[in-house]
Amino acid sequence: MLVIASLAASMYCPSMFAATPVVEIEIRDHLFFPSEVVIPANTKVKLMISNLDPTAEEFESYELNREKVINGNSKTAIFIGPLAPGEYPFFGEFYPKTALGKVVVE
Amino acid sequence: MLLNSVVLVLQETLEAALLISMLLVISYQQLSRTSWLPVGLLVGVIFSLYYASQMAVVSEWFDYVGQEVVNAMLQILIVMLIVVCSWALFKSRRLITQGDPLKRNHFTDIFTFSATGAVALAITREGPEVFLYLNGFLQTSEHFQPVMIGSSIGFGIGVSIGILFFYSLLSLPDGWRLKVPVFFLALFAGNMLSQAVLQLTQADWISSARALWDSSGWLPENSIAGQLLYALVGYEATPSSFQIIAYAIGVTLVVGSAITANRIAKNV
Repeated sequence: MLVIASLAASMYCPSMFAATPVVEIEIRDHLFFPSEVVIPANTKVKLMISNLDPTAEEFESYELNREKVINGNSKTAIFIGPLAPGEYPFFGEFYPKTALGKVVVE
Repeated sequence: MLLNSVVLVLQETLEAALLISMLLVISYQQLSRTSWLPVGLLVGVIFSLYYASQMAVVSEWFDYVGQEVVNAMLQILIVMLIVVCSWALFKSRRLITQGDPLKRNHFTDIFTFSATGAVALAITREGPEVFLYLNGFLQTSEHFQPVMIGSSIGFGIGVSIGILFFYSLLSLPDGWRLKVPVFFLALFAGNMLSQAVLQLTQADWISSARALWDSSGWLPENSIAGQLLYALVGYEATPSSFQIIAYAIGVTLVVGSAITANRIAKNV
């Protein structure tokens, strides 16, 4: 029971109380704006992604271990981090040649 | 665009194709039933289309993380159905020796019902991405032809790998015919539960844990081998400790249900 309780406590989400920094990203003409996002190290961040194109896009990053479909003309949230300093590329899986970006953790 | 479509649709098709192969080979060899598959496929496609049509609404739920929550719930349901499949399969097999056809039929029905549900939900989870992708090109008509050709090729490769996997499992020697598919089914359940944890982490419903290891240097997730292993055994280059725990729970549940069903049935 103690193991289950400690596991539950460690999985419990502290950001329910602490404010999580929000970074806004837009998708326009199958491009990310901004294409480079700088966030602090060891901090959880909420990416609010607005897809202004009429068609859907999929935010994907192997380095961030994140993947999410975003409908056309809609917005969504993706939580990332806490991350170690470095660069974490992401791309739009539906338009991977143009929709490219990276998260820079400092 | 053509190559991208091949890869995208292949990724989405592979997981469901492998699950279908495992369940089909078990039901075909052990229970002589295959009629559940068309029902599972049809229900899966209908649910998938509906989920795709509602994706924008679902995404706004729970402060814009509804998609992750629904996907995680679907994955947990798939695991539960696989556990029931494993349990019913071993109960049914045990009853062959005890000569009780009515009881055996009952457990065979439970297996086929659960297998139908698992396949339908697996398609429901993966399908919307493909439908939304194709719908985007239908709207613009730009790149439509290469996207459709690429998607068809990707779908064809995914189905072909599933068929190859089915016949590989079918051609196993007698002693391994049941153990190997159930083993892969257990790994699949582990993968599903691990992915559910990842979805809930992305939604911030579970706090983020650092990656336990990083094997992206020698086997990147986006490589062909990485993608195949991801679909088959849930390979992740940077899994968190919570994902590993979830994976172990998924595997244990399937193996445990098989062992329990075997033991209890012995005593009936």
